[in-house]
Amino acid sequence: MAAPMELSCWGGDWGLPSLHPESLTVMAYAKFSGAPLTVNTIHNSWRAPKGDVPVLISDDIVISHPAKILNFLRKQKYNADYELSAKQGADTLAYIALLEEKLLPALLHTFWVEAENYCSVTKPWFASRIPFPLSLYLPGKMSREALNRILLTRGGPPLYSLTEVEAQIYRDAKECLNLLSKRLGTSQFFFGDTPTTLDAFVFGFLAPIYKVHFPRVQLQEHLKQLPNLCRFCDDILTCYFRLSVSGHSPAGQDTADANLQKLTQLVNKESNLIEKMDDNLRKSPQHPPRKLTTLKLAAGGEESSPLSRLSP
Amino acid sequence: ATLCFQAFLQMCNLPIRVVCRANAEYMSPSGKLPFIHVGNQVVSELGPIVQFVKAKGHSLSDGLDEVQKAEMKAYMELVNNMLLTAELYLQWCDDVTVEEITHPRYGSPYPWPLNRILSYQKQWEVRRKMKAIGWAGKTLEQVLEDVDQCCQALSQRLGTQPYFFNKQPTELDALVFGHLFTILTTQLITDELSEKVKNYSNLTAFCRRIEQQYFGGHDRDSSAAAAARSAKRSLLR
Repeated sequence: MAAPMELSCWGGDWGLPSLHPESLTVMAYAKFSGAPLTVNTIHNSWRAPKGDVPVLISDDIVISHPAKILNFLRKQKYNADYELSAKQGADTLAYIALLEEKLLPALLHTFWVEAENYCSVTKPWFASRIPFPLSLYLPGKMSREALNRILLTRGGPPLYSLTEVEAQIYRDAKECLNLLSKRLGTSQFFFGDTPTTLDAFVFGFLAPIYKVHFPRVQLQEHLKQLPNLCRFCDDILTCYFRLSVSGHSPAGQDTADANLQKLTQLVNKESNLIEKMDDNLRKSPQHPPRKLTTLKLAAGGEESSPLSRLSP
Repeated sequence: ATLCFQAFLQMCNLPIRVVCRANAEYMSPSGKLPFIHVGNQVVSELGPIVQFVKAKGHSLSDGLDEVQKAEMKAYMELVNNMLLTAELYLQWCDDVTVEEITHPRYGSPYPWPLNRILSYQKQWEVRRKMKAIGWAGKTLEQVLEDVDQCCQALSQRLGTQPYFFNKQPTELDALVFGHLFTILTTQLITDELSEKVKNYSNLTAFCRRIEQQYFGGHDRDSSAAAAARSAKRSLLR
């Protein structure tokens, strides 16, 4: 089997496994292709990120850019695009380019440049996960890089002021969301019934916009008006990430699984008891057969007691 | 890029005249080339020009449905993202090409030392942009590989059809033609970039077909050659 692979990336919150679009893309692709990836979220220790995040480490190989990580996974035979035709592969490249050109500037702006969002949400969140004293410097650097990127790629004439650039990038982002919604239509994933690379990228870019609670949310409001994209994000979260609403980090998913198993066992025991009681009752002629209450299993790993669901 | 517009306007059956000027960048309202001058209106850049032409009643993509329009926009972004950036990289970040071709050409209308200063300034600007989008760390081989991937995607999308969206040419065809023709005909130190494109025979056939169909009606040699020359100069800007 392939060597064990470790992914270092930013952690998550608000129901997401990660807040960082590129980390989320890689995690989603790993889930879709079934690659066994151990995810290490960056938390407040001295093994701080040295620049590019996410980083994949396998034996001695260190790979940093998401496209390169995906290529590496494909070479290790974890390929989510196996069933795509050549034309669909070409479409994938084109749509990814569309996402990077039109949606990414607005995403960067919402997270890092918009003053209210940055000061109240982004900066404290990232600073709490970076060790002091880097936490004083690194969020500011990421913010400056984001602004730089937006201005250099979109800020040429005739757009001379930052407000004009902002207006333009949000217009482009909304147009991009509309195009994605039209392309998705009513199907479950972009290319039929199985998720592929394009689904991973779209999910990685859309989920942070959809879920993170910001004070200034014009992009989120626009996204909420496109129900098929919202449904797409929710589907992937419930099917592949199985997180509850309050949000566990991916490291806690094993405990969630263990809890789920315990719950299942408890429920099975209870249902066996009920069956026995029911048999006893049926054998006695006085009472008519009772209907069994159907027990519904909690899907999200929430620790609700099954006993409270039983009606005697 | 000039070639893209000419192809687009030819496809719309609108007559145009190409003029080369040294101070063209300053005449343009957005600082970017090329631009068109119609009556007393001046419009620059592909997006606004397409909308301008559409407002006047000519549009090439009316026959497409919503999903196809989304696809067309996505492919245009791919071309802009990959091919345009690769062309810029090759001209300004590859040291050999910069020294021998780009610097002399860019500075040719100006006297010394202005030519050196302006070309260094432009080079610094382009390199800053490359760094911001993460292309600064790429080697020439990686850039060529990206171009290859892009051409492969375009080739697979084109398949055996005459145009990208079957029978009718669209803005995407004009854009792709402009870039590919420039790559195929511009002289650089190495031919690797044009070799990459030549690997895909349906793309070269596509270019030849559009050239014959839309540039062959007029005085073919002079207009295509003039277009190629002005394309080279506009590419270097």
